Amino acid sequence: MSVVHPNRVGGWWSSVVLIVAALLLSAPASAQSRVSLRGFGDVGRTTFAATQSFTAVLGSDTGRAFGGGVDVVFARRVFVTVRVSRFRRVGQRVFLFNGMQFDLGIPTTITVTPLELTAGYRFDRGWRLVPYGGAGISRNRYEETSAFSEADENIDARFSGYHLMGGAEVRLAQWLGAAAEAQWATVPNAFGNDPNSVSHEFEESNLGSMTFRLKVVIGR
Amino acid sequence: MGRLGGSTVPAVSRRVAALGIAGLVGGVWIAATVAQEAPLPQRLPALLARVTAPAIDRGIRDQDPPRPPWRDSSGLMSSIPGSDAPVIPGSIILKFRPGTTSEARRAILSQVGGTTMRALPYAAFDLVSIDATIDPERAAKTLDAQPDVEYAQARYRVRPAFVPNDPLYSRQWNYPAIDMERAWDINPGATSSITVAVLDSGVAYRSGVFGFNSQAFRLTAHGPEYPALGFISVPFAAAPELGGVDRFVAPRDFIWDNNNPLDLDGHGTHVSGIIGQLTNNGVGVAGMAFNVRLMPVKVVSGDWDFIFDSPFEGTDDVVARGIRYAVDNGARVLNLSIGRTGRPAPAVQAAIASAVSRGAFVVVAAGNGFESGNTVERLAEFAPEIDGMVAVGAIGRDRQRAFYSNTGSYVELVAPGGDSRVGGREGTILQQTFDFDLVETYLSGPTRYQAPRFDSFAYEFLQGTSMAAPHVAGFAALLMQQGITSPAAIEAIMKRYATDLGPSGRDDEYGYGLINPRAALRGLGIAK
Repeated sequence: MSVVHPNRVGGWWSSVVLIVAALLLSAPASAQSRVSLRGFGDVGRTTFAATQSFTAVLGSDTGRAFGGGVDVVFARRVFVTVRVSRFRRVGQRVFLFNGMQFDLGIPTTITVTPLELTAGYRFDRGWRLVPYGGAGISRNRYEETSAFSEADENIDARFSGYHLMGGAEVRLAQWLGAAAEAQWATVPNAFGNDPNSVSHEFEESNLGSMTFRLKVVIGR
Repeated sequence: MGRLGGSTVPAVSRRVAALGIAGLVGGVWIAATVAQEAPLPQRLPALLARVTAPAIDRGIRDQDPPRPPWRDSSGLMSSIPGSDAPVIPGSIILKFRPGTTSEARRAILSQVGGTTMRALPYAAFDLVSIDATIDPERAAKTLDAQPDVEYAQARYRVRPAFVPNDPLYSRQWNYPAIDMERAWDINPGATSSITVAVLDSGVAYRSGVFGFNSQAFRLTAHGPEYPALGFISVPFAAAPELGGVDRFVAPRDFIWDNNNPLDLDGHGTHVSGIIGQLTNNGVGVAGMAFNVRLMPVKVVSGDWDFIFDSPFEGTDDVVARGIRYAVDNGARVLNLSIGRTGRPAPAVQAAIASAVSRGAFVVVAAGNGFESGNTVERLAEFAPEIDGMVAVGAIGRDRQRAFYSNTGSYVELVAPGGDSRVGGREGTILQQTFDFDLVETYLSGPTRYQAPRFDSFAYEFLQGTSMAAPHVAGFAALLMQQGITSPAAIEAIMKRYATDLGPSGRDDEYGYGLINPRAALRGLGIAK
């Protein structure tokens, strides 16, 4: 299964352009010529909004996610980030009945791969600790594969979402920083339509999540 | 001589005496052993030898001339005057409410001149003896109206529910029809941790030579008399395609009241094959849940049980006891390819409700009487009231309701039972059972009538809701093995994933539809 929402793609890029433009315009003119490029890697703990569905199949609504990406920082304050991350966990298919859950022992692998574009502002006042915040859009790839399934019974679909994030970065060296960051994401209407699904049972449709992560930044 | 004789005679006498004592002790020992191994009352089967020659495999019987129907309408038992009556005269089933005093019980029983009979194991009710001239149904109705009585009913006869027909894996259309090949990928036949009880005419589960006392009988009221054969030795063998002795758990015979539920009919053996025929062994045919253990519980009698004058017949009380016995002895799935019409069966209903409450899933055939009035099957009718019990109708190869399959509000699911009108003999269900030529010897007339053999097997095509029900019982075993342990949840998942047939949604012909084991075993993912 592949789900594409073509009507959202145009809106996606429009939003990006508008956010970046607004943030760039807010920077002092003298600083706008100073652009730095940074790379980063992160590890975080993601809790999915579809709590009951993920718990039923994976045993928990929470898991580790790894990510990485590129920051472009304009005038030390405005940034645009492109980040990709991945959550992957193996659970098992289930049957739900009258509040009881029966685990069927059929391995199911859930993989969530968000590609995010975030624009934000860094409150850089020359201190060692730099708070920051931002918002962005995402394209989320959701894969669900089960043992004994035919190809058309597995899922490989993409959904659009939005997110807010904030954190604080500390400089460890001239070219090295570390950050702690929180992100709230919503990915509406991702699942819950198939009557033979746990998400349908629990009436959960949002692939969004709350993530806390630690980040290592290379660059100035 | 005299001395010699005198000296010799006492020595000989001592030897004779010693031999006599030894002989006496030996005789007593043999008698005791024989008494233990083979009680020889006139009616009970006597085990004459534990070991017989290997079972005879007579192959697939697909070239036989068409077989006349002989179960529902013209079976031997039903042709004996009085034996086709739906009710056993002279007794009824009665359950008092808890706390009813002895005085109150006596007063109630006196209304029909009844006395309680000896208590029977696995019976949560009393059997009450009444005068044979009193209508048992009327007596039961009188008692049922008393406030201290939970239920009272006549002892209705219960019979196998399949429709006999006329007519290996490629010839078993029934398994591909319900996507079993992909279902077996997920769950290859369950395991020996699941026991399925087959409450039926017995199962060909052991070898031995048993002695029976054969009585004279007539096939029709005015037909020729078939002579009494007297005490005869009858060979039995375990069906090769059901596996060895280890396959069977706690066998019990409520028709002969012993632990040898020998199949004297072939129905129970065929049904057992659908549930658990050895599969992927390079021999014969396949079964649904081919690794489960089977519990043969004999609760209905066949023609030969009748000829051999079994002490009990398949009646509601016998079936109810069989159900309780099966659950007490660890069965988790119960298959009842049996049924009857007539008055309701509260004793069986109570037993099934109890079985389900103790974690057993119960499958009952919906009945084969569509073309003979489509009267309500009393053992199946309460399926909608019990979550954890299903009543199963039959479809043919064309996925349409089989011509004989009952319809009604109690039909919850359908499964392949075969329909000879659509696909002829090949359109029915092929499993291993007895070679009927050597069982139904009475069908060739009195001159060729002889003792039966139950050690010769063939692959026989049969049809009926009796054949549909064990598909569901096998399916239930797979679900239990997969982790769904609640009978109510098993029923729910079977209905949820059933393939809707007929009018959209539940209907009286197909219930919730055709079972879909593969989809049910696969269960639910997060999104699909």
